[in-house]
Amino acid sequence: MALKELNISPVGRVEGDLDVKVYMENGVVTRAHTQAAMFRGFEQILAGKDPQAGLIVTPRACGICGGSHLYCASSALDVAWQTTLPPNALLLRSIGQASETLQSIPRWFYAIFATDMANKKFANKPLYQEVVKRFAAYVGTSFQKGVTASGRPVEIYALFGGQWPHSSYMVPGGVMCAPTLKDITRAHAILNHFRNDWLETVWLGCSIERYMEIQSWDDMMEWLEENESHRNSDLGLFLRAGIEFGLDKFGQGVGKFLAWGTYLHKDMYNKPTIEGRNPATISPSGFFDGKKYYDADQKMVAEHIKHSWFTDQEDGLHPFDQPIPTPALGATNLEHSDFNGKYSWAKAPRFMGFSAETGPLARVIMAANPANKEHQFRDPLFGDIMAKMGPSVFTRVLARMHEATRIYQKIDEWLRQIDLDGEFYIKPTERDGIGWGATEAARGALAHWIEIKNGVIENYQIIAPTTFNVGPNDKDGQPGPIESALEGTEIEDPHDPVEVGMVARSFDSCLVCTVHAHDNKTGKELAKFKL
Amino acid sequence: MANLLWLKGGACSGNTMSFLNAEEPSVIELVMDFGIRILYHPSIGLEIGEQVKEVLNDALNGITPVDIFVFEGSVIQGPNGSGKMNLYAGRPMKDWVKEIAEVAQYVVAVGDCAAWGGIVAVPPNPTESTGIQFHRRQKGGFLGAGFNSRSGLPVINIPGCPAHPDWMTQVLVALATGRMKELLLDDFHRPRTFFTDFVQTGCTNARSFAEKVSGGFGKRGNGCLFYEVGCRGPMTRASCNRILWNRVSSKTRANHPCLGCTEPAFPHHDLKKGSIFKTMKYLGVLPKEAPEGESKLLYYFKTGVQKALTPSRKDGGSK
Repeated sequence: MALKELNISPVGRVEGDLDVKVYMENGVVTRAHTQAAMFRGFEQILAGKDPQAGLIVTPRACGICGGSHLYCASSALDVAWQTTLPPNALLLRSIGQASETLQSIPRWFYAIFATDMANKKFANKPLYQEVVKRFAAYVGTSFQKGVTASGRPVEIYALFGGQWPHSSYMVPGGVMCAPTLKDITRAHAILNHFRNDWLETVWLGCSIERYMEIQSWDDMMEWLEENESHRNSDLGLFLRAGIEFGLDKFGQGVGKFLAWGTYLHKDMYNKPTIEGRNPATISPSGFFDGKKYYDADQKMVAEHIKHSWFTDQEDGLHPFDQPIPTPALGATNLEHSDFNGKYSWAKAPRFMGFSAETGPLARVIMAANPANKEHQFRDPLFGDIMAKMGPSVFTRVLARMHEATRIYQKIDEWLRQIDLDGEFYIKPTERDGIGWGATEAARGALAHWIEIKNGVIENYQIIAPTTFNVGPNDKDGQPGPIESALEGTEIEDPHDPVEVGMVARSFDSCLVCTVHAHDNKTGKELAKFKL
Repeated sequence: MANLLWLKGGACSGNTMSFLNAEEPSVIELVMDFGIRILYHPSIGLEIGEQVKEVLNDALNGITPVDIFVFEGSVIQGPNGSGKMNLYAGRPMKDWVKEIAEVAQYVVAVGDCAAWGGIVAVPPNPTESTGIQFHRRQKGGFLGAGFNSRSGLPVINIPGCPAHPDWMTQVLVALATGRMKELLLDDFHRPRTFFTDFVQTGCTNARSFAEKVSGGFGKRGNGCLFYEVGCRGPMTRASCNRILWNRVSSKTRANHPCLGCTEPAFPHHDLKKGSIFKTMKYLGVLPKEAPEGESKLLYYFKTGVQKALTPSRKDGGSK
């Protein structure tokens, strides 16, 4: 049988609602269309409101990346209001952003991703029993430890922001809190719990310092074989099982990567401007086209709506030039989508005209840029891994997990740098103007563009990492990163298309997927798969 | 044993993320120790595609009883009442909500969006969002004022943006262990055990409130955030300062004004100019909104007297 009929609806364990239409031949995906299936209209809600409304509203755009939205919203206002930021404020914002990302690492791995490795698809693999013992949902030994440990880093966020998720403690001019010595020492203690309860004992099987000696894929393999503790750690098991299960063989994607970077250096962004931002990042920004690195200049972003359910705007506009989105009402029938026309609630953002992947893999690729400055991450590992293995589900997961040790060390360092005698907030003067704020959410590049006019929000544009990754075709027919990554994926059991789920989840896309199968020859949707 | 089904509408997943932070009891303890069987949850459920539809259809057909139906996020009715701005498993999510609510013993709305529409329902409400049984302060919402689930209870609201994780897990345990009779609800269908006292109860700045000592951003000394930066702690019913957040703190303890997010009017004043992190005032001096239970005149009178009586306190904050 050449053609499979398939209707996965939904895939789950990706946040939000997404449909994916897949065209298959002999069980292999030849083309895919991603369809964001929910619209909430945050930009419409923000228009005409108080300039600071974004501090409350945008964290609620995504409860998983709320701290990241807050980081962007406050930065955009800093630029627009021309604030002065004390070093303590930049440190406490970075600590918040990093804590949220550190939380996401074990929570995403165990609750979202690794349960798929316990799928029966892999039952004939030698390591399957061990994978099930550790990674099976709820009952897995590591699942319980990892999900429990994931709550620790956001306790640090709560010490400075009051709660996680959904604090608004980063405000133009600094932060709301003025922590005391007990807050700082308590944060150190919590960080230590995270290391002892999970990071070193369960995940690495060695010290953070030993792990960070790894500079290349060969080093990684040498580390793996060094002793039983490394081999039997969860990272050791993931490396062995990931290769054994073939996770390095699918989900390649577009091979172009974008990171806005994040963690603005405490002494390099005290006078926030758009131009001054990228050089001040500690986790570096950049665009990598597979060969060369380029500056991640926000001017190079444009959004397309040819295939998105929006009207009244041209394709290829920069966020500052785009109107508040107008939903194209009446065109929202997923059952009968016309893929030559509009088919998604996501726009299609492009960088320098290219479809680009964002996320942890993009970040670690930027960290391998030899041009990085002294204050920036300099880590050659994923330059080497990309050259040897290229992008895949496996590479993406490894990149995500690789960040844990570096982020841990940075939070520890930033806590030490807080000057308890220094300022935390300098009250700004409100004014009209434009601003841009950006960061790296756990799952990728996030940015906000704001225009304030007559003391209220005139325009607010958000481009989330998932918009980059999950967006539809652009006006030239160039597919989005997940659309592209699904191509070539072999689906073994149409009733349990775990491979499609693994690709989508390796991007940690913020959407719930639905997959419909199409006849590759006619492009018509096939009858529903009969069980 | 209680079967739980969780779905999300116009949601940010903030309540799910909050739920995963639960401590007493934790989510794993709910499953392993309290006999709650999670039939499906979109963020942590294992089922995929057709298997999810089977779960939903088995619930509707009575093959699998649904003891507790938890809904997170607003009910999206746009465009033009069609619900097509939020399609799930091939249908508008609102249709799933209506049908599952009819077969469930209990319907629980977690977070403001599910309870009363929340941020997504702020004018112009582009998605025609509403809560399951309230629209902002108005009873009714999606299912109507008269709705009762099979148990005879209306929709149980656990508001907050997000709801505190232990409020969620403790209500679920109360339902699963047969203590629903003791789960008294207030006029907004909130369990009284969590939503009777004000956020101010247990606030470390409470003394400054009484003494009218004002605080502000970036300042130590436990100044009260009510007077200048818009704190709603005296007017908001929630136990944020008694059951702390993430085990360690609360907004007001971290010098963050309470946003009043467990009240149906959140976000208050619909985010209009001058309403955010600023106390709106009469005559440029007196707070426009007085604490719950006090007449405004009496409150203003007391404010004046108290200010005159309290010697100015030095910035007593110690690092």
